[in-house]
Amino acid sequence: MNKSRRLFSQGQRQALFIGAGAFFTGLLLLAMISIVLLIAARGGGYFWPQDVHRVSFLSSVDDQPKTVFAQIQSEYMQDGQKMRWLQLSDAQSPYGRQILLESNRTLSLARAPEAARVALKDGRVVLAEPVSVESPESTSIAVARIDAVRENVAQIDARITAIRDDALSQIHLQLTELDQRKVSKNAPARKKLNKAFDRWHSQVLELERQRDSYRLNLQLAQGDDISIPLMDVYSLEHTGQLTAVGKLGVALNRVGRFLTESPKQANTAGGVFPALFGTVLMVFLMTIIVTPFGVLAAVYLNEYAPDNAMTSIIRICVSNMAGVPSIVYGVFGLGFFIYGVGGSLDQLFFEQSLPAPTMGTPGVFWAALTMAILTLPVVIVATEEGLRNVPQGLKAGSYALGATKAETVWHTILPMASPGIMTGVILAIARAAGEVAPLMLVGAVKFAPNLPVDAEFPYLHLERQFMHLGVLIYDGAFHSQTDAKSASMMFAACLLLLVVVFILNILAILLRARLRRRYERR
Amino acid sequence: MRQIAFNTHISGKFNTELEDLRNSVLTMGGEVEQQLIDTLKAIRLNHSGLAEKVALNDLRINSMEIQIDKECMRIIAKRHPTASDLRLVMIISKAITDIERMGDEIERMARLVTKQKIPNSESVKSSMLSIGEKVVAMMRGTFDAFARQDDNSALEVYDQDNRIDSEYKRLLAYIVKEMESSNESMQDWLEILWALRSLERVGDRCKNICEYVVTLTRGEDIRHTPLENLSQTLENLE
Amino acid sequence: MLKLFDHEHLDLDNLSDDLTAIRVEDLSLQFGNKHVLENISMRIPKHRVTALIGQSGCGKSTLISSFNRMNDLNPQCRYQGQIYIGDRDINNKKQNVSELRTQVGMVFQRPNPFPMSIYENVCYGLKLQGIKVRRQLDDAVERALKDAALWKEVKDRLFESASVLSGGQQQRLVIARALALKPDILLLDEPTSALDPLTTLFIEELIAELKHRCTIIIVTHNMQQAARVSDYTAFLHQGRLIEYSDSDTLFTTPEQKQTEDYITGRYG
Repeated sequence: MNKSRRLFSQGQRQALFIGAGAFFTGLLLLAMISIVLLIAARGGGYFWPQDVHRVSFLSSVDDQPKTVFAQIQSEYMQDGQKMRWLQLSDAQSPYGRQILLESNRTLSLARAPEAARVALKDGRVVLAEPVSVESPESTSIAVARIDAVRENVAQIDARITAIRDDALSQIHLQLTELDQRKVSKNAPARKKLNKAFDRWHSQVLELERQRDSYRLNLQLAQGDDISIPLMDVYSLEHTGQLTAVGKLGVALNRVGRFLTESPKQANTAGGVFPALFGTVLMVFLMTIIVTPFGVLAAVYLNEYAPDNAMTSIIRICVSNMAGVPSIVYGVFGLGFFIYGVGGSLDQLFFEQSLPAPTMGTPGVFWAALTMAILTLPVVIVATEEGLRNVPQGLKAGSYALGATKAETVWHTILPMASPGIMTGVILAIARAAGEVAPLMLVGAVKFAPNLPVDAEFPYLHLERQFMHLGVLIYDGAFHSQTDAKSASMMFAACLLLLVVVFILNILAILLRARLRRRYERR
Repeated sequence: MRQIAFNTHISGKFNTELEDLRNSVLTMGGEVEQQLIDTLKAIRLNHSGLAEKVALNDLRINSMEIQIDKECMRIIAKRHPTASDLRLVMIISKAITDIERMGDEIERMARLVTKQKIPNSESVKSSMLSIGEKVVAMMRGTFDAFARQDDNSALEVYDQDNRIDSEYKRLLAYIVKEMESSNESMQDWLEILWALRSLERVGDRCKNICEYVVTLTRGEDIRHTPLENLSQTLENLE
Repeated sequence: MLKLFDHEHLDLDNLSDDLTAIRVEDLSLQFGNKHVLENISMRIPKHRVTALIGQSGCGKSTLISSFNRMNDLNPQCRYQGQIYIGDRDINNKKQNVSELRTQVGMVFQRPNPFPMSIYENVCYGLKLQGIKVRRQLDDAVERALKDAALWKEVKDRLFESASVLSGGQQQRLVIARALALKPDILLLDEPTSALDPLTTLFIEELIAELKHRCTIIIVTHNMQQAARVSDYTAFLHQGRLIEYSDSDTLFTTPEQKQTEDYITGRYG
């Protein structure tokens, strides 16, 4: 072969190869960076307090000029016009609505440091200028003292709760007991109870009236006054008057709430704690299930199984299982675990509650089990790799000291293979935390009223449905294409999911590094 | 002077083996020294029984040579000695040849007694015994230097050979004069000359061993170096 | 006649039973279809160091491994003939292999300490035997490490990982690990081939010490080493025992031409 007749010379081919490799690696890096940056920017933006603006514009309804307080949620250019999504509060809808405003209808737009963002406990938001705080004693307390006043409100609220929980519920119980014993309506005991009930009840009413007379007075942009019970106020952020550090404080506060509170307004506001908790719990359960199964299977395949065609076939099957689409596992979980196994369990142990299913319904345990099956091949393959890397000399050393095969596996081979096992578990965790489709079939829901763990016996309710970050994101993406705010929440949840997977991975990698230091020489 | 420590190997067994080897050479040397002393005594007293014993004892010395040689070979094969260890084994292997030959020379002198060929001349006999005493001293010094690996004293002993040689030459000249006036047969005189020659050879072999000691401690072969150059060579070594 | 040197040369063909540690009778062994050992018969003397030498693939490692049935780990291994330790035939299928291996310790080419602390390494075999009493273990560890000449170096860091030790220390640790079980016989399969020359000398000196405690059989590629450490040497060639005698004779005046050629480096 004449080398010079080739299209490229040896050196050129090499350069081409290196160039192409570097190019694609760079592309990959760029893609990764942009993913992380986008998620971090959009998700992080959800927490960063935005300035409140005073916006004047021509209403699209009646072409009259209008002034409102608004926050700009997003901006983009269309047909040479700047389009802005605004979250605003006006006299018609003080609790906020969104409009799309073209720049040619905009009369003025300026920051309004006097205006505040008042978030209500149900998730709604009012943008207005705080005027004063009202209490039963005084009608014009300075807004700056709002925290002290809210303290009073909280005290009153606590008293109401105390009365409800202790006295009233006691009386309720006693009344029910009387009902059960069919005591006549005019019995003196019942009368006495009724009287006590009335007394407590009126006290509660009085307290509630007192509580509701604590109010926050606000003024909208066009001068309309509104008054909100202080009880309903969740937070008051004077973002316009905050320094960057102050804003950071507000943002961190929001992050904290995001992580610890439940969603509001159909997953468009509030926190994601149940989803976070559900995700971590499900992954945790899955890890507990998949690790022993995967490790035992790998040990059998690598150490005990005879070296024949059957073993090879099993190995190939295991590798192929890793490639099965995840939705197939979801369907399998639903059909086999929930309807099959769960249904049978119901018939065996929970017959009294049929036809309402107890176990035969999607739940966190079945979800964990399904994910365990889904991640099993990953764990088996990685563990086998780890087992193969155990030096032959170490095994021989163990046998030479009189150890049996089982003792050698337990005392020497498994500890040495533990970094490999950890690698498998890391991969399994990453896979399980990110799955959505199969989970929606076997137990993850948009909204679960209860956490799978609570103070009620048996504390861990494996049959309960749970919320999952992936499902929350999926749900958020379908809410409304125009709902920029909930889209932001979706990004925030996405960021959180990323962080969760990252933290789980870091933990596992640290653990693996520790094991490596201990068990791998050189 | 550098003292070589032969008992500092990691292998304790090797230390013992080398120590045993050196001791065996000294044992053999002591044996030969005793042979010479006994021979001189036999000549002085004309004690043929003692002379017989010396002749018989030479077989022991021969057997020692074989044993030590074998041990040297064994050590070389099994321990692969190097540097000072190797020099030690090699010079021992050579030294025992010299020692064994000393034994043979001494045996030849002892034959003088058994064959009743002791010179009648009292002066020849006393001169012979005086050379013998000097050779005994030299031999003692040689083995002492070997035992202590003391090259300086080895060189001192080395110098003693010159005096022995000159005394030997003087005696030879004297014997030639004596022979003319003597009534003894030429045969007898030859026996005496051979015996004297042997005694002188013993001194030469002691000289060889001294050279080996220097080789061992300084790692330099000083054989065949003219005496005038020797001091120069040794100075360079210091 | 005066005897200047005292070297023991036992008559290996007619060794009395109370001096015999291992009696091999007509041992043949094959892996699959490959014959590795053929008709080996020999008596290995007690409390001596016996070296097995020969080219790679001559079967010396296989022979030493058959003394504690390590060849069983290869499923293709088949053997005929008897190996007696005391009066037990260890090739008997009913033989408890685990128990045998506690009595016949083995040390391999590469130091292979377990990834645990020094203390746990030495305890490994004892714990497998069910010994759990802390004081008993402490005593055994100290004794074994002292026997392996390692105690002084590690007594202050018994609970550190064994991997911090140097190669020579690791190999001595592995020897201590075997000694902790008080074996009658210690098999060393090229114990110094992964170590530097000086460390090798230390291990060899240790072997010379240890022969007072147990019978030692060593396989080595290094002829000089065999010459240095062994009292008796067996030369194997293509699965056959060619010459077996005391090392002094074998290394100075071998009887067989094949032996002469091998130890003088005249072939392969």
